Amino acid sequence: MIPAVRVEGLSKSFPGTGAPVLDDVNLTVEARSCTALLGPSGAGKSTLLRAISGLERPDAGRVLVGGQDMAGVGPEHRGMAMVQQRPLLFPHLNVLDNVAFAGTVRGVAKRAARADAAGFLELVQLAGFGPRPVAALSGGQAQRVAIARALAARPAVLLLDEPFSALDPELRSVMHDLLAQLRRSVNPTVLMVTHDRSEAAAVAEKIALFSGGRMLQHDSVERMYSRPVSLEASRLMGGANEIPGTVRNGCHHSALGALRLPGDTTWPPGPGILLVRQESIEVGPGNGPGLHATVSGLRVLGPRRLVSVDAAGVLLRAEIPWGRALAAGDTVTLSIPTSALAVVDDPDTAHTFPGAEKRPQITVQGLATLASIDN
Amino acid sequence: MALTLPPDSRTPLSWPVRPGNGLRASHGIARTLRVLLALALALWLVLPLVPLALWAFADRWSFPAVLPQAWGWGGVRAALAQGAVPAFGRSLLLGLLVSAVATPLGVLAARALAYRRVPLAPAVNVLLFAPLALPAFVAALGLNVLLLRVQVPPFAGVVLLLTVYALPYTSYTMRVAYGAHDLAVEEEARLLGASAWQVMWRVQLPLLAPALARAAFLAFLVGWSDYVITVLVGGGTIVTVPLLVAAAAAGTGNDATVALLSAAALLPPLVLLLVLGLFGRRPRSHQTNGDVK
Repeated sequence: MIPAVRVEGLSKSFPGTGAPVLDDVNLTVEARSCTALLGPSGAGKSTLLRAISGLERPDAGRVLVGGQDMAGVGPEHRGMAMVQQRPLLFPHLNVLDNVAFAGTVRGVAKRAARADAAGFLELVQLAGFGPRPVAALSGGQAQRVAIARALAARPAVLLLDEPFSALDPELRSVMHDLLAQLRRSVNPTVLMVTHDRSEAAAVAEKIALFSGGRMLQHDSVERMYSRPVSLEASRLMGGANEIPGTVRNGCHHSALGALRLPGDTTWPPGPGILLVRQESIEVGPGNGPGLHATVSGLRVLGPRRLVSVDAAGVLLRAEIPWGRALAAGDTVTLSIPTSALAVVDDPDTAHTFPGAEKRPQITVQGLATLASIDN
Repeated sequence: MALTLPPDSRTPLSWPVRPGNGLRASHGIARTLRVLLALALALWLVLPLVPLALWAFADRWSFPAVLPQAWGWGGVRAALAQGAVPAFGRSLLLGLLVSAVATPLGVLAARALAYRRVPLAPAVNVLLFAPLALPAFVAALGLNVLLLRVQVPPFAGVVLLLTVYALPYTSYTMRVAYGAHDLAVEEEARLLGASAWQVMWRVQLPLLAPALARAAFLAFLVGWSDYVITVLVGGGTIVTVPLLVAAAAAGTGNDATVALLSAAALLPPLVLLLVLGLFGRRPRSHQTNGDVK
């Protein structure tokens, strides 16, 4: 099947900025899928979206939509529509005419375009809002009108550039549900930029992780969390546990002892950093079976707690629900399921691995990002 | 699947601005002073027009009489005899031509300056504003020789020079408008399928219409009210309303004619200003009934 969007070797620099904003990005997005472009500010996600839409001309590389090279094709002919952080509704048109805009510029009769627009307003649950001026809308309503306006253009690819980041958490969650509902009824290919891991996981099937203009990893949501390809990717996905050691015979050997790695992957022998998500570590009572550890700190994360423990001299973090009373100095046992383990190359020793040059290495920008995370 | 949406909070997108609220409201003596000042300003603007209106239809008004001693149409007849109608026509044409040329030029200059497509933008800005600093007669005297040498017809020469004098007003007005104009809205329109032309006609133009109307009005005023350039470059052959007023004012016993012409000269800009006030606002999204038409 021809992918909906294919990006090949895309690079982009802006005058006055040292490093390229996009550096040799390759990305394939399947038709009717939803992919989140995730990464910290300045990672190049929005620039990639603008380059795909035709609003930005890349320095190198190409964008293919439905197998066709989009070089020289204007934004209005790419079969895309974009919803941005700001609704950017036309202030001189009422809600209905905003949604009917795409139809009328295509040459559809005004009456037919408005009837069509009314249908899309209904789809975003704003039926009857058509005659209102856009200034009379709340933030959430305006964003829903912006989505209806984009969908009314019948885009093959819907581009979303942090469309919900200005909304409050409750409204964001509603908008995520709305997006899922719209995907079921209209089903365009969706590319969504976000810097929020939870949002990416909530709306998308796949995540493309960006840092410093480079794509670090493009994988399913589950694998992005469970099998990061690099230390940088792991940290950007919120991973908090990194245990240095060595891989031998499918086991990771470290101060924690020998831990068997998942059998679905061939783990190359040599030095490697064991990664385990904090959500995957189970904390049990001190007299139970498992790895013995001492609680060194507790932090409240709303409905959950982040417990720092010292296990054989290794600092580990585990995210656990409220319930059992815990305090610094308590002895606990840790249970780490094999399926939650992954190993990445230590960037300092990556050159010792065969085929290391093919693996994503940490970038200079990535190092800066990691340093900021550490701080 | 039915979604439960939160109640309509009606939170406006922009910060609510209520001119009359809080710290901006004036009370007591401050309010009285504000009203008095507004009345004094209105009086100051209207007062000079009263003697003009009286003089226009006064056949005889000698000192120390408070009101004219004889009313009549003498002033009107004299003004018509001196060519008031063709002079009005020429002034109107001059104002409209200057406006028609200086407004699009101002738009182009402002757009280029606002979006930094101009090398040495500060120098270009100074150049655009230079006509305001240069006395009109200096430019007119200097350029008149040049215009004569290259055989530019006097009327075209006047339009050309007045356009240069109108440019600072049009470019500044449009520069401010482009500064507040959001290009992202235009990009959004492109992505929705609008061509560059459709974006210009259906998005940019409606959004910039009020500023365009203001710029055009200012340029019209430059052409409508000019005296120096019309006299020097036109060589006295292009008789416009200001020239007619000046000629009548230079003579004696023409008080009624001068008053009538001066008062009448106020009308076209006043009408334009009213039209601007009524229709020159940002087009609001019109309220239609709920039916799809």
